[in-house]
Amino acid sequence: MSVFLSSLGFGLITAAVLALATVGFTMQFAVTNVLNLAYGSVMINSAFVTYFLNVHTRLNAWVALGGGVATGAIVSYLINRFIFTPFQRRNLPPITIVMVALGVDLCGTFGLQAIVGGSYFSFRQSPGRLWHFWGMYFSTLQLTIIGIAVVVLALVHWLLKYTRLGKAMRATSANMNLARNSGVRTQMVISTTWIISGALCGLAGTVFAMDTGVFDATSAQLYIVLLLAAMFLGGPGEPYGAMLGAVTIGVATEVSAGFINPQYKEVIAFVVLIGMLMFRPYGIFGKEKTL
Amino acid sequence: MSGDLSTPGQILRATGLSAGYDGRAIVHDVSIEATPGKVVSIVGPNGSGKSTLLKSLVGVVPVLGGTVNVGDADITNMTPERVATLGVGYVPQIDDVFPPLTVKENLDIGGYLLPRHEVGARIEAVLEFFPRLKTMMSRRAGKLSGGERKMLAMGRVLMLRPSVLVLDEPTANLAPLVATQLLEEYIRGFAEKGSTVLLVEQRAKAALRVSDWTCVLGGGRVVLEGPPSDLENNPIFVESFLGGGAPRR
Ligand SMILES: Nc1ncnc2c1ncn2[C@@H]1O[C@H](COP(=O)(O)OP(=O)(O)O)[C@@H](O)[C@H]1O
Ligand SMILES: [Mg+2]
Repeated sequence: MSVFLSSLGFGLITAAVLALATVGFTMQFAVTNVLNLAYGSVMINSAFVTYFLNVHTRLNAWVALGGGVATGAIVSYLINRFIFTPFQRRNLPPITIVMVALGVDLCGTFGLQAIVGGSYFSFRQSPGRLWHFWGMYFSTLQLTIIGIAVVVLALVHWLLKYTRLGKAMRATSANMNLARNSGVRTQMVISTTWIISGALCGLAGTVFAMDTGVFDATSAQLYIVLLLAAMFLGGPGEPYGAMLGAVTIGVATEVSAGFINPQYKEVIAFVVLIGMLMFRPYGIFGKEKTL
Repeated sequence: MSGDLSTPGQILRATGLSAGYDGRAIVHDVSIEATPGKVVSIVGPNGSGKSTLLKSLVGVVPVLGGTVNVGDADITNMTPERVATLGVGYVPQIDDVFPPLTVKENLDIGGYLLPRHEVGARIEAVLEFFPRLKTMMSRRAGKLSGGERKMLAMGRVLMLRPSVLVLDEPTANLAPLVATQLLEEYIRGFAEKGSTVLLVEQRAKAALRVSDWTCVLGGGRVVLEGPPSDLENNPIFVESFLGGGAPRR
């Protein structure tokens, strides 16, 4: 029982990080139709910017985090503007964009490695005191990460449901031509989506690195596997599905890691995904590709 | 009641219009004019290019030759989002709502170009016109029946008080009574209030009944046009669209 509870605690933290990441990832897919496999490399690059600002220029951790978030937003916007959009204009099949994204991912990861080298890094932050609830232990850092995730996901919900921009994003996702006929400047909406989802990506990358403790340029390389599992579990393009999928995958991988070899996390994620897809082929929420 | 739903008219005019997909014309050299206070309808067999013609008018399909004007403005190959700002409301044949959005949210998007504080009042005006929608504001558009969905699709474009309405087979898949009501009450009503209405209608008889002018499209060209009274007595039209025999109404 105590192994179960302590790994459930880990699961909640993993889930918080994964939920932040998956929501951005699924928004990109829903609104712009790009399965952005370069997401993991943008995450880790953003984390390194935060690291650099925090550890080398000794900026306050929150300010440095802002730098990581901005990096994610700007880099994602630029990747879409200069790589995905030109390819999409040529009406190539979606698989081409996937291959391009994969290439961007490799360039991003190994470009970073060329700069920072192959060694391991860690934030100087102490994780803070240990808190104990219901048999689960959390450091102050971990509670902060969970808090950030809850607040940010609530903001995403508010954005999508109650703002003009959020409704325009969902309308663009559901029916781009009709959105344009209603006066929505969908190119602007798409660019904004890349900035917002990129900010989520940068945030997720940074808290991922903080949570991992020790990281290097390739640390997020397999993360795309968890992202895909969480996204498909919830239904592709469904932000609420992404949150639920992330919690399921996060908890399932960590709880199972408490009992079997933690190296198999990604395998467990896919066992859960495939098991569920047998019953709900479009994911928990998915019916059509919607936001 | 519907007085403020639309704005009195502007002329919508296509001159020598060719349009199509991937640079290949589907619609050839079409000239057509819709004027304020009138319903102009387009009939023609499936695949004759009716939808392509409407889409090229509102900027969804590229114009390959000729011009499109609304009032004084040249809207040839203007983006759909700019055409919307000129008071042209377009209801497509399919994909006419945002299925995952609620009815209320669909109307909100319809009012996207309005100043924020006007949206609420506009929604009230549209609901006044389509009272059935009142009870389903929080339902997802994808869950509506065919008739409700069409009302929502029309309601969405009415949010902007359009001066020109471009409607692609609004009565397809509707129950006959609902279809008749939509055409003869609502759509005819817009024209009588001074709006410009350009309508594609599969059922030729119904089209003649509500129109002031009807164009017959065949193979992407206008093959016949005129006021309903002429077409009803035109043997070719009667033969191909009214199922032969004597003209009926
Ligand atoms: N998106 C498209 N791409 C290429 N060809 C199309 C497309 N949509 C329609 N067409 C072709 O254009 C022709 C006219 O179609 P359409 O305008 O929909 O006719 P209608 O509305 O009169 O039934 C058809 O031959 C159809 O195959
Ligand atoms: Mg058609």
